[in-house]
Amino acid sequence: MHISEGVLSGPVLAAGAAIAVAGTAIGLKKIEYDRIVHVAILASAFFVASLIHVNVGPASAHLILNGIVGLLLGFAAFPAILTALVLQSVFFQYGGLTALGVNVVVMAVPAVFSHYLFLPLIGKSSTLTFTAGFLSGLLSILFSSLLLGAALWFTDKNFFETSLVIIMANIPIMIIEGIVTGFCVTFFLKVYPEIIPKKKL
Amino acid sequence: MKIKNILLIVFVLLMLPASPASAHKVIIFAWVEDGMIHTESSFGSKRKAKDSIITVMDEKGLMVHQGKTDQDGKYSFKIPDHIQSDLILNLTAGTGHQAQWKLSRDELKIPPSQKDIQAAMKEKETLEESPSVFKIIGGIAIIFLLALAVKFSKRKPNLK
Repeated sequence: MHISEGVLSGPVLAAGAAIAVAGTAIGLKKIEYDRIVHVAILASAFFVASLIHVNVGPASAHLILNGIVGLLLGFAAFPAILTALVLQSVFFQYGGLTALGVNVVVMAVPAVFSHYLFLPLIGKSSTLTFTAGFLSGLLSILFSSLLLGAALWFTDKNFFETSLVIIMANIPIMIIEGIVTGFCVTFFLKVYPEIIPKKKL
Repeated sequence: MKIKNILLIVFVLLMLPASPASAHKVIIFAWVEDGMIHTESSFGSKRKAKDSIITVMDEKGLMVHQGKTDQDGKYSFKIPDHIQSDLILNLTAGTGHQAQWKLSRDELKIPPSQKDIQAAMKEKETLEESPSVFKIIGGIAIIFLLALAVKFSKRKPNLK
Protein backbone atom coordinates (compact mmCIF):
# COMPACT_ATOMS: atom_id res chain seq x y z
CA MET A 1 0.00 0.00 0.00
CA HIS A 2 3.08 2.27 0.16
CA ILE A 3 3.96 3.79 -3.21
CA SER A 4 7.70 4.04 -3.82
CA GLU A 5 9.82 6.95 -5.02
CA GLY A 6 9.74 7.74 -8.73
CA VAL A 7 6.57 5.84 -9.64
CA LEU A 8 4.02 8.63 -9.95
CA SER A 9 3.94 11.67 -12.22
CA GLY A 10 4.37 15.25 -10.95
CA PRO A 11 0.70 16.29 -11.18
CA VAL A 12 -0.44 13.19 -9.24
CA LEU A 13 2.17 13.84 -6.54
CA ALA A 14 1.14 17.51 -6.34
CA ALA A 15 -2.57 16.67 -6.12
CA GLY A 16 -1.88 14.09 -3.41
CA ALA A 17 0.25 16.54 -1.45
CA ALA A 18 -2.43 19.26 -1.70
CA ILE A 19 -5.19 16.95 -0.42
CA ALA A 20 -2.92 15.63 2.33
CA VAL A 21 -2.04 19.17 3.48
CA ALA A 22 -5.70 20.22 3.47
CA GLY A 23 -6.79 17.07 5.34
CA THR A 24 -3.99 17.46 7.88
CA ALA A 25 -4.86 21.13 8.48
CA ILE A 26 -8.53 20.24 9.07
CA GLY A 27 -7.47 17.32 11.26
CA LEU A 28 -5.14 19.43 13.40
CA LYS A 29 -7.85 22.05 13.83
CA LYS A 30 -10.44 19.45 14.80
CA ILE A 31 -8.34 17.55 17.35
CA GLU A 32 -9.78 18.18 20.78
CA TYR A 33 -7.29 18.90 23.54
CA ASP A 34 -8.37 15.89 25.60
CA ARG A 35 -8.09 13.49 22.64
CA ILE A 36 -4.52 14.30 21.58
CA VAL A 37 -3.16 11.34 23.52
CA HIS A 38 -5.64 9.05 21.69
CA VAL A 39 -4.34 10.38 18.38
CA ALA A 40 -0.78 9.55 19.50
CA ILE A 41 -1.78 6.02 20.61
CA LEU A 42 -3.52 5.26 17.31
CA ALA A 43 -0.71 6.84 15.24
CA SER A 44 1.73 4.58 17.10
CA ALA A 45 -0.45 1.53 16.41
CA PHE A 46 -0.56 2.46 12.71
CA PHE A 47 3.23 3.00 12.68
CA VAL A 48 3.95 -0.44 14.18
CA ALA A 49 1.16 -2.39 12.42
CA SER A 50 3.06 -2.36 9.13
CA LEU A 51 5.70 -4.58 10.74
CA ILE A 52 3.18 -7.33 11.44
CA HIS A 53 3.36 -9.52 8.41
CA VAL A 54 0.50 -11.96 8.00
CA ASN A 55 0.81 -15.10 5.90
CA VAL A 56 -2.47 -16.64 4.81
CA GLY A 57 -1.97 -19.54 2.44
CA PRO A 58 0.13 -18.45 -0.51
CA ALA A 59 -0.58 -14.75 0.07
CA SER A 60 1.15 -12.45 2.52
CA ALA A 61 0.66 -8.82 3.47
CA HIS A 62 1.06 -6.52 6.43
CA LEU A 63 -1.54 -4.88 8.64
CA ILE A 64 -2.46 -1.26 7.94
CA LEU A 65 -5.14 -0.41 10.53
CA ASN A 66 -6.40 2.70 8.75
CA GLY A 67 -9.98 1.54 9.44
CA ILE A 68 -9.76 1.73 13.22
CA VAL A 69 -7.59 4.87 13.13
CA GLY A 70 -10.22 6.65 11.03
CA LEU A 71 -13.20 5.21 12.87
CA LEU A 72 -11.96 6.58 16.19
CA LEU A 73 -10.23 9.77 15.01
CA GLY A 74 -12.19 11.13 12.03
CA PHE A 75 -10.24 13.92 10.31
CA ALA A 76 -7.52 13.63 12.98
CA ALA A 77 -6.57 10.43 11.11
CA PHE A 78 -4.83 12.68 8.55
CA PRO A 79 -2.12 14.05 10.90
CA ALA A 80 -1.87 10.65 12.64
CA ILE A 81 -1.34 8.75 9.38
CA LEU A 82 0.95 11.46 7.95
CA THR A 83 3.24 11.29 11.00
CA ALA A 84 3.30 7.48 10.98
CA LEU A 85 4.02 7.35 7.23
CA VAL A 86 6.90 9.85 7.51
CA LEU A 87 8.43 7.70 10.26
CA GLN A 88 7.83 4.47 8.31
CA SER A 89 9.52 6.02 5.29
CA VAL A 90 12.53 7.30 7.26
CA PHE A 91 13.01 4.36 9.64
CA PHE A 92 11.76 1.38 7.61
CA GLN A 93 12.23 2.65 4.02
CA TYR A 94 8.53 2.04 3.30
CA GLY A 95 7.29 4.18 0.41
CA GLY A 96 8.92 7.31 -0.95
CA LEU A 97 8.97 10.70 0.73
CA THR A 98 7.94 12.40 -2.52
CA ALA A 99 4.95 10.03 -2.70
CA LEU A 100 4.04 10.82 0.91
CA GLY A 101 1.04 13.00 0.01
CA VAL A 102 -0.48 10.32 -2.22
CA ASN A 103 0.22 7.62 0.36
CA VAL A 104 -1.52 9.74 3.02
CA VAL A 105 -4.54 10.22 0.75
CA VAL A 106 -4.69 6.50 -0.11
CA MET A 107 -4.83 5.54 3.57
CA ALA A 108 -6.45 8.52 5.30
CA VAL A 109 -9.39 9.29 3.00
CA PRO A 110 -10.98 5.82 3.50
CA ALA A 111 -10.24 6.21 7.22
CA VAL A 112 -12.26 9.44 7.42
CA PHE A 113 -15.11 7.86 5.43
CA SER A 114 -15.22 4.96 7.88
CA HIS A 115 -15.62 7.45 10.74
CA TYR A 116 -18.65 9.11 9.20
CA LEU A 117 -20.20 5.85 8.00
CA PHE A 118 -19.70 3.56 10.97
CA LEU A 119 -19.18 5.59 14.16
CA PRO A 120 -22.96 6.23 14.57
CA LEU A 121 -23.44 2.44 14.84
CA ILE A 122 -20.89 1.96 17.63
CA GLY A 123 -22.50 1.23 20.99
CA LYS A 124 -25.99 0.47 19.63
CA SER A 125 -25.59 -3.22 20.44
CA SER A 126 -22.64 -5.58 20.73
CA THR A 127 -23.44 -7.23 17.38
CA LEU A 128 -23.86 -3.91 15.63
CA THR A 129 -20.64 -2.57 17.21
CA PHE A 130 -18.65 -5.58 16.01
CA THR A 131 -20.25 -5.44 12.55
CA ALA A 132 -19.52 -1.70 12.22
CA GLY A 133 -15.91 -2.30 13.27
CA PHE A 134 -15.56 -5.24 10.90
CA LEU A 135 -16.95 -3.29 7.93
CA SER A 136 -14.82 -0.28 8.84
CA GLY A 137 -11.63 -2.39 8.72
CA LEU A 138 -12.62 -4.31 5.60
CA LEU A 139 -13.99 -1.45 3.51
CA SER A 140 -11.13 0.90 4.41
CA ILE A 141 -8.64 -1.50 2.84
CA LEU A 142 -10.92 -2.02 -0.17
CA PHE A 143 -11.29 1.74 -0.67
CA SER A 144 -7.54 2.25 -0.17
CA SER A 145 -6.85 -0.40 -2.83
CA LEU A 146 -9.13 1.44 -5.27
CA LEU A 147 -7.44 4.78 -4.52
CA LEU A 148 -4.02 3.17 -5.00
CA GLY A 149 -5.24 1.76 -8.32
CA ALA A 150 -6.49 5.22 -9.31
CA ALA A 151 -3.12 6.83 -8.42
CA LEU A 152 -1.24 4.22 -10.43
CA TRP A 153 -3.72 4.54 -13.31
CA PHE A 154 -1.91 7.69 -14.39
CA THR A 155 1.24 5.58 -14.79
CA ASP A 156 -0.10 2.20 -15.89
CA LYS A 157 -3.15 3.48 -17.77
CA ASN A 158 -5.01 0.38 -16.73
CA PHE A 159 -7.16 1.18 -13.73
CA PHE A 160 -9.26 -2.00 -13.61
CA GLU A 161 -6.39 -4.44 -14.08
CA THR A 162 -4.14 -2.63 -11.58
CA SER A 163 -6.93 -2.25 -9.03
CA LEU A 164 -7.90 -5.89 -9.42
CA VAL A 165 -4.32 -7.01 -8.73
CA ILE A 166 -4.14 -4.79 -5.63
CA ILE A 167 -7.55 -5.90 -4.34
CA MET A 168 -6.77 -9.59 -4.87
CA ALA A 169 -3.46 -9.21 -3.02
CA ASN A 170 -5.21 -7.47 -0.13
CA ILE A 171 -8.25 -9.76 0.33
CA PRO A 172 -6.67 -11.64 3.30
CA ILE A 173 -5.69 -8.36 4.95
CA MET A 174 -9.22 -6.95 4.42
CA ILE A 175 -10.73 -9.88 6.33
CA ILE A 176 -8.07 -9.80 9.06
CA GLU A 177 -8.34 -6.03 9.50
CA GLY A 178 -12.13 -6.38 9.63
CA ILE A 179 -11.86 -8.93 12.46
CA VAL A 180 -9.13 -6.94 14.27
CA THR A 181 -11.13 -3.70 14.04
CA GLY A 182 -14.37 -5.43 15.12
CA PHE A 183 -12.72 -6.94 18.20
CA CYS A 184 -10.78 -3.78 19.07
CA VAL A 185 -13.87 -1.58 18.96
CA THR A 186 -15.89 -4.08 21.05
CA PHE A 187 -12.98 -4.33 23.50
CA PHE A 188 -12.47 -0.56 23.73
CA LEU A 189 -16.18 -0.03 24.35
CA LYS A 190 -15.96 -2.30 27.40
CA VAL A 191 -12.60 -1.41 28.92
CA TYR A 192 -11.56 1.96 27.46
CA PRO A 193 -14.73 3.76 26.29
CA GLU A 194 -12.97 7.15 26.52
CA ILE A 195 -11.22 6.41 23.22
CA ILE A 196 -14.58 6.25 21.38
CA PRO A 197 -15.54 9.79 20.36
CA LYS A 198 -18.47 11.06 22.41
CA LYS A 199 -19.83 13.33 19.73
CA LYS A 200 -21.51 10.94 17.39
CA LEU A 201 -22.06 13.35 14.56
CA MET B 1 -21.07 -14.76 21.73
CA LYS B 2 -20.27 -18.19 20.34
CA ILE B 3 -19.65 -16.78 16.86
CA LYS B 4 -17.30 -14.17 18.33
CA ASN B 5 -15.38 -16.85 20.20
CA ILE B 6 -14.98 -18.86 16.99
CA LEU B 7 -13.86 -15.75 15.13
CA LEU B 8 -11.34 -14.99 17.89
CA ILE B 9 -9.85 -18.49 17.58
CA VAL B 10 -9.76 -18.18 13.77
CA PHE B 11 -8.01 -14.84 14.09
CA VAL B 12 -5.43 -16.17 16.56
CA LEU B 13 -4.75 -19.14 14.25
CA LEU B 14 -4.34 -16.79 11.29
CA MET B 15 -1.85 -14.71 13.25
CA LEU B 16 0.30 -17.72 14.18
CA PRO B 17 2.50 -17.60 11.09
CA ALA B 18 2.76 -13.83 11.42
CA SER B 19 6.22 -12.46 11.93
CA PRO B 20 7.87 -9.04 11.74
CA ALA B 21 9.01 -8.49 8.19
CA SER B 22 9.61 -5.78 5.68
CA ALA B 23 6.72 -5.97 3.28
CA HIS B 24 7.18 -2.73 1.42
CA LYS B 25 10.87 -2.04 1.60
CA VAL B 26 11.66 -2.67 -2.05
CA ILE B 27 15.29 -3.50 -2.65
CA ILE B 28 17.41 -4.14 -5.71
CA PHE B 29 21.01 -5.05 -5.12
CA ALA B 30 23.55 -5.48 -7.95
CA TRP B 31 27.19 -6.42 -8.28
CA VAL B 32 29.67 -7.23 -11.07
CA GLU B 33 31.44 -10.57 -11.29
CA ASP B 34 33.16 -12.35 -14.22
CA GLY B 35 31.88 -9.92 -16.85
CA MET B 36 28.31 -10.33 -15.68
CA ILE B 37 25.98 -8.05 -13.72
CA HIS B 38 24.13 -10.00 -11.05
CA THR B 39 21.04 -8.66 -9.31
CA GLU B 40 18.91 -9.73 -6.36
CA SER B 41 15.58 -8.07 -5.67
CA SER B 42 13.33 -8.42 -2.65
CA PHE B 43 10.78 -6.80 -0.32
CA GLY B 44 13.13 -7.47 2.58
CA SER B 45 15.01 -10.67 3.30
CA LYS B 46 12.16 -13.19 3.10
CA ARG B 47 9.95 -12.03 0.23
CA LYS B 48 11.69 -12.15 -3.11
CA ALA B 49 10.57 -9.83 -5.92
CA LYS B 50 9.57 -12.50 -8.45
CA ASP B 51 8.83 -11.82 -12.14
CA SER B 52 9.72 -8.16 -11.67
CA ILE B 53 11.07 -6.06 -14.51
CA ILE B 54 14.62 -4.75 -14.35
CA THR B 55 15.37 -1.89 -16.72
CA VAL B 56 18.99 -0.86 -17.17
CA MET B 57 19.68 2.70 -18.25
CA ASP B 58 22.80 4.72 -18.95
CA GLU B 59 23.53 8.18 -17.54
CA LYS B 60 21.49 9.82 -20.30
CA GLY B 61 18.43 7.74 -19.41
CA LEU B 62 18.64 5.55 -22.51
CA MET B 63 17.59 1.96 -21.98
CA VAL B 64 20.47 -0.42 -22.65
CA HIS B 65 18.96 -3.66 -21.33
CA GLN B 66 15.78 -5.09 -19.87
CA GLY B 67 15.00 -8.38 -18.15
CA LYS B 68 12.84 -10.16 -15.61
CA THR B 69 13.71 -11.64 -12.21
CA ASP B 70 13.28 -15.36 -11.59
CA GLN B 71 11.40 -17.08 -8.74
CA ASP B 72 14.24 -16.22 -6.33
CA GLY B 73 14.23 -12.54 -7.31
CA LYS B 74 17.52 -12.99 -9.18
CA TYR B 75 18.52 -11.82 -12.63
CA SER B 76 21.96 -11.82 -14.28
CA PHE B 77 23.11 -10.48 -17.63
CA LYS B 78 26.31 -9.76 -19.53
CA ILE B 79 27.72 -6.24 -19.18
CA PRO B 80 26.44 -4.40 -22.27
CA ASP B 81 29.16 -3.82 -24.89
CA HIS B 82 30.86 -0.42 -25.31
CA ILE B 83 29.37 1.05 -22.14
CA GLN B 84 31.21 4.22 -21.12
CA SER B 85 28.82 5.38 -18.45
CA ASP B 86 27.41 4.50 -15.04
CA LEU B 87 24.46 2.15 -15.19
CA ILE B 88 21.19 2.67 -13.33
CA LEU B 89 19.23 -0.49 -12.65
CA ASN B 90 15.55 0.18 -12.09
CA LEU B 91 13.38 -2.49 -10.46
CA THR B 92 9.63 -2.33 -11.13
CA ALA B 93 7.96 -4.74 -8.72
CA GLY B 94 4.33 -3.86 -9.53
CA THR B 95 1.55 -1.88 -7.79
CA GLY B 96 3.67 1.14 -6.96
CA HIS B 97 6.83 -0.67 -5.85
CA GLN B 98 10.05 0.57 -7.40
CA ALA B 99 13.72 0.72 -6.45
CA GLN B 100 17.04 1.67 -8.04
CA TRP B 101 20.67 0.64 -7.85
CA LYS B 102 23.60 2.46 -9.44
CA LEU B 103 26.74 0.75 -10.76
CA SER B 104 29.60 3.12 -11.46
CA ARG B 105 31.65 2.81 -14.66
CA ASP B 106 34.67 1.89 -12.52
CA GLU B 107 32.81 -1.08 -11.05
CA LEU B 108 31.98 -2.25 -14.59
CA LYS B 109 35.61 -2.11 -15.79
CA ILE B 110 37.70 -3.25 -12.83
CA PRO B 111 37.05 -6.81 -11.61
CA PRO B 112 36.06 -6.71 -7.93
CA SER B 113 38.38 -8.18 -5.31
CA GLN B 114 37.18 -10.69 -2.73
CA LYS B 115 37.18 -7.83 -0.22
CA ASP B 116 34.85 -5.76 -2.47
CA ILE B 117 32.45 -8.68 -2.82
CA GLN B 118 32.39 -9.24 0.94
CA ALA B 119 31.75 -5.53 1.53
CA ALA B 120 28.95 -5.59 -1.05
CA MET B 121 27.36 -8.65 0.57
CA LYS B 122 27.48 -6.95 3.96
CA GLU B 123 25.77 -3.91 2.45
CA LYS B 124 23.09 -6.22 1.02
CA GLU B 125 22.46 -7.82 4.41
CA THR B 126 22.18 -4.38 6.02
CA LEU B 127 19.60 -3.35 3.43
CA GLU B 128 17.56 -6.49 3.97
CA GLU B 129 17.55 -6.63 7.75
CA SER B 130 14.34 -5.94 9.67
CA PRO B 131 13.95 -2.64 11.54
CA SER B 132 15.59 -2.61 14.96
CA VAL B 133 13.67 -2.28 18.23
CA PHE B 134 15.52 1.00 18.72
CA LYS B 135 13.96 2.41 15.53
CA ILE B 136 10.47 1.21 16.52
CA ILE B 137 10.70 2.70 20.03
CA GLY B 138 12.29 5.85 18.60
CA GLY B 139 9.40 6.26 16.16
CA ILE B 140 6.80 5.91 18.91
CA ALA B 141 8.72 8.39 21.08
CA ILE B 142 8.70 10.93 18.21
CA ILE B 143 4.92 10.49 17.78
CA PHE B 144 4.34 11.22 21.48
CA LEU B 145 6.71 14.21 21.41
CA LEU B 146 4.78 15.65 18.47
CA ALA B 147 1.52 15.00 20.34
CA LEU B 148 2.98 16.88 23.29
CA ALA B 149 3.83 19.79 20.98
CA VAL B 150 0.27 19.85 19.61
CA LYS B 151 -1.09 19.66 23.16
CA PHE B 152 1.12 22.59 24.16
CA SER B 153 -0.05 24.64 21.16
CA LYS B 154 -3.70 23.93 21.97
CA ARG B 155 -3.55 24.61 25.69
CA LYS B 156 -5.95 27.25 26.95
CA PRO B 157 -4.38 30.36 28.51
CA ASN B 158 -4.79 30.66 32.26
CA LEU B 159 -7.05 33.70 32.74
CA LYS B 160 -6.76 34.02 36.52
